[in-house]
Amino acid sequence: MGIQEVQSQNGTSAYQKKKKTGRAEGFQESLLQNLKNRDQEKQSNTAAETEAKQAVIGTQISAKAKAEKVGMGRIGAVPDIRVNAAATQEALQAVEVRHMSYEDSDHVRIAVMEGYTLKGKREEGADARVYVEAKYEDGRMEAYQVEMAKVPEQTEHRIEQFALETMKEGV
Amino acid sequence: MEQEWSYLVEEYRAMLYRIAFSNMKNRADAEDAVQEAFLRYMKDEKPIQNKEHEKAWLIRTTIHICLDILKSGWYQRTVPWNESFENAAKNIYLPYQVRDDETLEAVLQLPVHYRNPIYLFYYEDYSIHEIAGILNEKEGTIKTRLRRGREEVKKILTEGRP
Repeated sequence: MGIQEVQSQNGTSAYQKKKKTGRAEGFQESLLQNLKNRDQEKQSNTAAETEAKQAVIGTQISAKAKAEKVGMGRIGAVPDIRVNAAATQEALQAVEVRHMSYEDSDHVRIAVMEGYTLKGKREEGADARVYVEAKYEDGRMEAYQVEMAKVPEQTEHRIEQFALETMKEGV
Repeated sequence: MEQEWSYLVEEYRAMLYRIAFSNMKNRADAEDAVQEAFLRYMKDEKPIQNKEHEKAWLIRTTIHICLDILKSGWYQRTVPWNESFENAAKNIYLPYQVRDDETLEAVLQLPVHYRNPIYLFYYEDYSIHEIAGILNEKEGTIKTRLRRGREEVKKILTEGRP
């Protein structure tokens, strides 16, 4: 059994006959179909790309939120200060260092033995906030904005304790 | 010209006095050192690039004058009669409240190569980069001196010796 069996008696295949009769129409149809298919493909690709981008952004946001929740990337770098990062993450927020002078500060702590200095200043505005700037022996500088309403009175966190002291300085 | 000098003196006098006092540990010698620094600044013909350069120049010169006085044969044969060495910290009038005079006292007892970086870093709030510029040292050297100086301060406070 071979190719011979599917051929007609005059030796031409059924497929070839069909192709020959409607060659021009078939080409046009297939061209139109191809164009249509390509447009659809393009649209679906764009939609897929947008969806993928949104998914990536979503993942980044949720990762950032999770990291903030556990206190990562904010107060983790402070040696000897990370006491209860998760509990205090609401009150502390890392901000840009302003290079405030001692004279401009409301409260100063010089901790030679621990290798750091802290400067605190009460912020103007309705909400009680304190700006705290930390400078370390290895040259690092960090700054935080502390929301006093969220700081527990008995906090063990040094930055928060210092912020509380800064608030009391002005009373 | 006179106005310029008076502005300069007003701007830096207190800070230079504190730095001089941390080295000399008596008022009269500290005042002499600061005056000499201002005189040298006025006589100096080198162009001062900016305010930071001006400040660094004055601090560096004040420290050098203090060290020259301390090394001089005359100074080593004299004893200040009106002030006690132990109360030196009380005579440094910082523009903020220091609650730990004991530590400042220990810092003032450190050898000069630890004392100046620690005093400038903690009490005058200079950065490591600025201190390196003032003392003509590498930043790494300043970091090392800060760390070792802190260990020395601990020794002074716990064992009572530098």
